[in-house]
Amino acid sequence: MNDAAGGKQRRARFQALCQSLRPDLLRFAFWLSRDRALAEDVVQESMLRAWKAQDTLLDEAAAKPWLLTIIRREYARTFERKRFQTVDVDELIAKEEPLLAAVEEQDVNDVRVAMMKLPDEYREPLVLQVLMGYSTAEIARELELSTPAVLTRLHRARRQLRAACGEDTSQDPQE
Amino acid sequence: MMEHAHYRAAVLANPHDTGAELRAHREACAECRAFTEQLLKFESRLERAMRVTIPSKADVLPFERKRGNAPPAARRWMALAASVLLGAAIVGGVWLSVPQPTLAAAVVAHMAGEPDAWQRTEAVPQPELADVLKDSKLRLKPDAGIVSYASSCSFRGYRVPHLVVQTSSGPVTVMVLVHESVLHVTQFASEGYRGTIVPVPGHGSIAVLMRGSGIGAGEIERIADRVDDSIVWTG
Repeated sequence: MNDAAGGKQRRARFQALCQSLRPDLLRFAFWLSRDRALAEDVVQESMLRAWKAQDTLLDEAAAKPWLLTIIRREYARTFERKRFQTVDVDELIAKEEPLLAAVEEQDVNDVRVAMMKLPDEYREPLVLQVLMGYSTAEIARELELSTPAVLTRLHRARRQLRAACGEDTSQDPQE
Repeated sequence: MMEHAHYRAAVLANPHDTGAELRAHREACAECRAFTEQLLKFESRLERAMRVTIPSKADVLPFERKRGNAPPAARRWMALAASVLLGAAIVGGVWLSVPQPTLAAAVVAHMAGEPDAWQRTEAVPQPELADVLKDSKLRLKPDAGIVSYASSCSFRGYRVPHLVVQTSSGPVTVMVLVHESVLHVTQFASEGYRGTIVPVPGHGSIAVLMRGSGIGAGEIERIADRVDDSIVWTG
């Protein structure tokens, strides 16, 4: 196979890979930013960066964490560029209401609203674990935290979410 | 035996943890078993909550042409280069998505200037339609629906095709905005119109509008998808 054909095939494979991962990456970016439009921009820009750097991805099995890291960095860059000062969570919730209320199940919508209100340091590891399927060690590596710190954040994230959703938390351990 | 508090803290951090010590405690302790079951129910809600619906248009990759015949390699790379430039513009601080509300408002305002466009139902003669479309380098597939209005209109400094297509959902206005690059889908409802502006990588964007505020966001998105699919870019 000549180089041109090989390159074409590699690009096609890369496109297919990005396409298959894109929904979860968009969801991750949405929960990171809590802003659908911003999430789409961040993922779009990240895909371009990934496309240009695709030769550095040596193992396709590692594509998901590789892309996710690019998204986190791109989001941080966007955040710096736009210099967001404060975030009004109620405004964010109102803005994203069509997305948050996209399902008919009210109990799921309640969790989404509670997720929007969860502090960043708790929301991000939780999304990595629940949505992206990361292990505690992988979250620790991605967020550059110790394993106990990740476990504490995950624990607190669920406590806060459950309390916000009216779950019985009386049996939860005291910190 | 592991303490209850230790067990509960561990499963709160990871309800699916299957470690031997946790499993042994769960099997021996009815209270902690009930606690875990309650937690797993909540976890199911949490998993569903995180799976927010992603708009179909967002599936378009920035480096990918989404329809029609495969373009020549050179053009594909030009599209990629355009995307890269777009990205560079963003990095440079030019936030190109900012004008979108203005663009939507301009599209709606343009409707007011051509009220007759909605009234026609007969097909525009093919040569006339081809003439309107030629500068934008596109044609419509035969199954696009009857084009009952076609005009080359002045819009924000450019001549753009303004079409009305008779679809099974009713008449739909389509404006092909090859000079207007947008980064993401923008839906709008204004002055009795419901519409959407969708990015077309390498070809700017298209605006799709219907009359009537009762039209759902999902419906206009589906109509825009059909319109988008019926366009064949020739250049």
